[in-house]
Amino acid sequence: MTSGPIPEIEIELAKLPPAVLEAYRAASDAVKESFGEDEIGLWAKEGLTIGTQTVRSWESAIEYYAVSPEVSKFLSFPSFMQWARCGTYLAQDSPTLAVAFFKSSVSIVPNLRPQYIPRWAGLGRSLYKGTWKSSTLAAKFFEVSPDLVRNLPFWDVEVFASLIEALSYKSYDVAGECLILGRDVLPGMGREREPFLAMARALIDTSWREVKTCLELVPRALQQVDESQTGRFLKLGERLAKVGLRDTSRFLADGTQALSKVPQGSQGYILDLCDALVVVTPDAVPPFLRSLDDVLNRITVSQLDTWFQHGAKLLQENPESGIAFFKIESNTSEAMLETLSSSLELDRVKGILRLYCRALSGTPLEIFDTQELVQRNIGWVDEDTASTDGSRVFLPPVVDHYNNKQDNFSWFKVVSTHQVAHLEFGSFEYQFEEPATQFEDRRHEAEQLMLERKKVERSAAQEAHELAAQLLASGAEGDVDMSLGYSDPNAPGLRNYTDIGRLLEIFEDGRLAFDIFTVLEDCRLDYRIKVEYPGIRSASSRVQSETLEKRPNITEMPLQQGMVELLIHMSLDQFQDLPVAKEYHESAEMLSSILHKLRDAEANVEDTGEATLRAYEIISRIPNQLEEEEEFEDQDLEEPGDFSEEDFQTLVDQLQAGMDASSDGDGDGESYESPDPVDYRGDFKPEMVQLMTKLQADDGEQGDAQPMTQEMLEQLLQESSELDLDAEQGEVDSDMSTFAQNIMKEAGAPPPNSQPGEGYGPLLHDDDSGGELEAREPATYVYDEWDFRANDYKPRWCIVKEKVVEEGDATFYQETLKTYSALSNHIRRQFELIMPESMRKTYRLVDGEDIDLNAALEAWTDLKMGVPPDEKIYWHRNRNRRDVAVVFLLDMSASTAEAIDEGRQMVDDRDAPDDPVEYMVWLRRRREGLVRRNYKRIIDLEKEGTTLLINALESIGDTYGIYGFSGYGRENVEFYVIKDINEAFGDKIKRRIDKITPLHATRMGAAIRHAATKLDNQEANTKIMFLISDGRPQDRGYSREGVEKEYAVHDTHMALVEARRKQIIPFCLTVDKSGHDYLKSMCGDMGYEVLADIFSLPERLPMLYRQLTTIR
Amino acid sequence: MVEAAKKHYTEYAIEEFLVRDEPYYRPVGDEIELFTAAYRQHIPVLLKGPTGCGKTRFVEYMAWQLGRPMATVKEQNEGKEGEVRVPLVTIACHEDLTASDLVGRYLLDANGTRWIDGPMTRAVKAGAILYLDEVVEARKDTTVLIHPLTDHRRVLPVEKTGTIIEADDRFLLCVSYNPGYQSALKDLKHSTRQRFISIEFYYPPADIETEIIERESGCTKEQADALAKLGEKIRNLEDHGLQEGASTRLLIYAGRLMAEGIQPRRAAQVAIVWTLTDDPELQRSIQEVSSSIFE
Repeated sequence: MTSGPIPEIEIELAKLPPAVLEAYRAASDAVKESFGEDEIGLWAKEGLTIGTQTVRSWESAIEYYAVSPEVSKFLSFPSFMQWARCGTYLAQDSPTLAVAFFKSSVSIVPNLRPQYIPRWAGLGRSLYKGTWKSSTLAAKFFEVSPDLVRNLPFWDVEVFASLIEALSYKSYDVAGECLILGRDVLPGMGREREPFLAMARALIDTSWREVKTCLELVPRALQQVDESQTGRFLKLGERLAKVGLRDTSRFLADGTQALSKVPQGSQGYILDLCDALVVVTPDAVPPFLRSLDDVLNRITVSQLDTWFQHGAKLLQENPESGIAFFKIESNTSEAMLETLSSSLELDRVKGILRLYCRALSGTPLEIFDTQELVQRNIGWVDEDTASTDGSRVFLPPVVDHYNNKQDNFSWFKVVSTHQVAHLEFGSFEYQFEEPATQFEDRRHEAEQLMLERKKVERSAAQEAHELAAQLLASGAEGDVDMSLGYSDPNAPGLRNYTDIGRLLEIFEDGRLAFDIFTVLEDCRLDYRIKVEYPGIRSASSRVQSETLEKRPNITEMPLQQGMVELLIHMSLDQFQDLPVAKEYHESAEMLSSILHKLRDAEANVEDTGEATLRAYEIISRIPNQLEEEEEFEDQDLEEPGDFSEEDFQTLVDQLQAGMDASSDGDGDGESYESPDPVDYRGDFKPEMVQLMTKLQADDGEQGDAQPMTQEMLEQLLQESSELDLDAEQGEVDSDMSTFAQNIMKEAGAPPPNSQPGEGYGPLLHDDDSGGELEAREPATYVYDEWDFRANDYKPRWCIVKEKVVEEGDATFYQETLKTYSALSNHIRRQFELIMPESMRKTYRLVDGEDIDLNAALEAWTDLKMGVPPDEKIYWHRNRNRRDVAVVFLLDMSASTAEAIDEGRQMVDDRDAPDDPVEYMVWLRRRREGLVRRNYKRIIDLEKEGTTLLINALESIGDTYGIYGFSGYGRENVEFYVIKDINEAFGDKIKRRIDKITPLHATRMGAAIRHAATKLDNQEANTKIMFLISDGRPQDRGYSREGVEKEYAVHDTHMALVEARRKQIIPFCLTVDKSGHDYLKSMCGDMGYEVLADIFSLPERLPMLYRQLTTIR
Repeated sequence: MVEAAKKHYTEYAIEEFLVRDEPYYRPVGDEIELFTAAYRQHIPVLLKGPTGCGKTRFVEYMAWQLGRPMATVKEQNEGKEGEVRVPLVTIACHEDLTASDLVGRYLLDANGTRWIDGPMTRAVKAGAILYLDEVVEARKDTTVLIHPLTDHRRVLPVEKTGTIIEADDRFLLCVSYNPGYQSALKDLKHSTRQRFISIEFYYPPADIETEIIERESGCTKEQADALAKLGEKIRNLEDHGLQEGASTRLLIYAGRLMAEGIQPRRAAQVAIVWTLTDDPELQRSIQEVSSSIFE
């Protein structure tokens, strides 16, 4: 039965306690299945070795034999022996350890690579330090290791073991507890295990007691913190631990608490802030996190930044006060929160203000952040003051003048009312030839004077020039710039291009005149607003009086500037107690009477012009020098008496006389400086607005007059006092040419470097040739295309390839519904209102639910009359009366990737090349410019709209299909199925929506034809095709020479007509603002809509659909 | 059912609806001349315009002016045959309005059947102005019914009785239509449209509207002025989310509330802001306009 050394071993084993031999015998038969004869010998012998290591190691031997059969199933013999020897070494140190090792081996061997076994044994060994406690810990390690190994990668087990070892130096009890905790917690951590272990490791050096708490806390943290941020969160913990922060566990708990309250998307941002704090003062992180919840209850995440930055700055200066700040234990902090929480962001009220301004002005105004205007770089530079350019109103992004939102909103209202007033009461409609209502017209006279003055100057210059030329001719050498001379004395001034410019050119001191004009016009408007809008009177008076408080003291200003300031004071409704230099009492009175003339509901902008002429005459004659305070006397200018031209003339003559008398003392006058701007009135640039409007109009007409060139524009801008003003503020390096270029672009004139025709490469027509196509592959279809020039179809011209959109993540669908939950409920409710309709009774049926009284009566009547009665005398509630099938076609062209940058025209195709290839390049370049994340693309709105629509459609049970289209070239029109018309709605479709992405070009015609075919196969009473696009159709070869765009438009039109012939109602919705240009010809009398506000797409889409399909 | 209806209507003698006083109407353009001319020339008239801009009032006024007493008859008013001659018959059209509702039908009688003229037939016989309000709302088949009345024939064929009624010389068909509604399934057929001359109505200009509001509501001149301004501003929001602007009628309502002593802002809120839209943002915007205009 046995051979070789076995009997000897048995004899040896017998010397040990009998249980050993029994265990050996019990196992030996089973082991035979795995091992050969020789191997069995070695196996048995190893058991003996184990048993004889120490006095008590026989226990280990028993265990060894007991588990051997099981272990041998998983290990090759060499590995087995290696394993056994590991046990032997352990037995040498401590039999308990070896027992634990062998015991857990049964369940560990199947999960552990054989080569790791020694390392694993080593891990256990390293915990053993020769003491009783350490052996218990090590044994415990072996006990838990099957679970660890099964659930963690081995290297994590190693890290964990070393962590436990490190802990064991501090306390065996804690280490033991952590070991158990770790077994339970670590497997669930996933990716975060590594940072967590690193953090724990860092903790041991500083505050090892924390480790256990952290282990307890971490599962909760991981649940509540956004998955993508947990890693960072734990890393932050590690960093804090490393710098010696005591209560990391507290950090974990607080941090979790704080982060869980923050909107998911912002958690990363909060961690950014924490990272920033760690660099400065790590101790500030926990207070910051603890306060966070409280803070965010009061202010928004976007406002948080301001508060935080302030705290961070404090922290750098003085950590103590910084920490107090973050604990909200300092007044500064509290006050800041107070201000922030009451401040009003433009974004929140933009929608309301937009409609408000539109209502007041009657034009489709847009509201923008003032920053947008500055970025546009066309001459506006102040980021904080409101302004308007005639079609847009610019407002500051945040208002925090008052400590409650309501007052701040009133401020917005006052400011926007003032801006709109420029439009409503015609500031920009100044016409030189229009007569004034309050004054006699004197501008022509003044203009003549100016021209004569100029003539004199010019001839003087001419003379000087000729003199120079003579000198030159008489022998001097070198280049003298001969162009300095005034070339054409009779040419009309450039500034006559705009009426305002013409007016302002009259004045010698353009800046002074413009300042006076601005004050007077603002005064006129403010008065007018008070008359027309009594409701805003109190708010606007409040703003005015607050502005007054901040105005500089007139007595401290040079006289001339003081006079302008005086006008400002009066325009702000202060007429009493105005300090006026004694010498100029009469002037002040005259100015007041001029100003009062404008405080009349009938006064118009031409009156302002006339008033400016007069006020200028006075003020320009007052020397700009400082005067002693005693020289001033308060004056009451409430009732200056009526303005009279004679008195005015007398006064001017007097002033002139005074001026002539002191002309020798000319030097003491300071040069004139513009007054501080009046904040709430913002930037007023009538000349620029007129200029832009005129440029736009001229561009449209390709007019009679010669077009404005960039050079002319530059010169004009240089002369204009509006820009001059800003250059003073030192922000503009008088980069006129940039301005001029940008203005040209704004006005829609072609940019200087692009030559028309450039970029119409040969690619465009290359597949115009080529013939019919064949649909060979499955799911491809061939369609004709309409050539309007030939007035015929090109047969079998396009191949439509039908593809199913990939499946993405269903969360987009859910997120959208969540974001728009209010809207989506609203839409759903609206849609459900359609429902009763489908429950309507159908009368006069052969059979039905009940007798139709009318029909029965008629039948009876007929009977009585002897006429054969109608037998249809029943009515029936028809459940399927609403019988609508609809197909939605989404534009998935590359341009839908356009970020919706509110500042620009959304799909500004003006400077886009027409050739599709170039167009792509152009697009890509534009897109690269937009590094800023977080923007929305057109396609995103399309997707959101679709989501809401689906949600609503499901509630009414219409048959619907959703498709996207794109493509490149006629042989490759891609037709993407998001939901096929017969497909049932489900998760699959939700996931597909996520994958709707911008692709290539738009060959609409073919896509429409394909969709029409799909609809045509449906049986429904009403069939609707809904086309959603972001621009005109465009594709490679989707054009013909000379008639580039029309070709595509005509083909699309024809495709729509074909659809209609199939009893399909087409409807086009576009977000392209220039859509009106071509939609008319594209859709003809079919329905279309140009969406002015792209953000309303998700909302508008379902509404339109409902309108379209409802019988009112 | 029929009896109940009969009973109901007998309580209201049709004469009581007669308005013999001049209705207030403030002409804006040449609409009175146009209508008079069309009436003399027997040309049917189509009045286009948004709700509450005065179409119905205009017809009432014309009926008065053209020298006839006026009464309004709801279309189901089949009571008392021939009792009163109806010089102005107004029918509010709706989608279940059938041809027999207009022309007439046989009713059961103790002795058998009895024919009863519908409002249209009566108007044709009586030589009245037949005013079909919101004609697009009517079913397609009923609009076809008016075709023979609108061309040179001026007849109403009554299929059921097998007769053709030639219209009285004074008869005129007038329909109203609000083009603001936009529905693919709803539009006036061209064959119908082209039988009318069209007079377009819009809300009157601010000064005239002020006059109308003041006169109709009894509020002060200032209030009327402010209301007209509010109306004008709100109408600027059409196409910016608002389907239809504030009608003159609504402005008058607000004016009436003010005349009763309701605070102007509040009156504007209940009569105009909340009536016009349910969209919170839009409501807020209009509210802000209103609070700028009213103290």
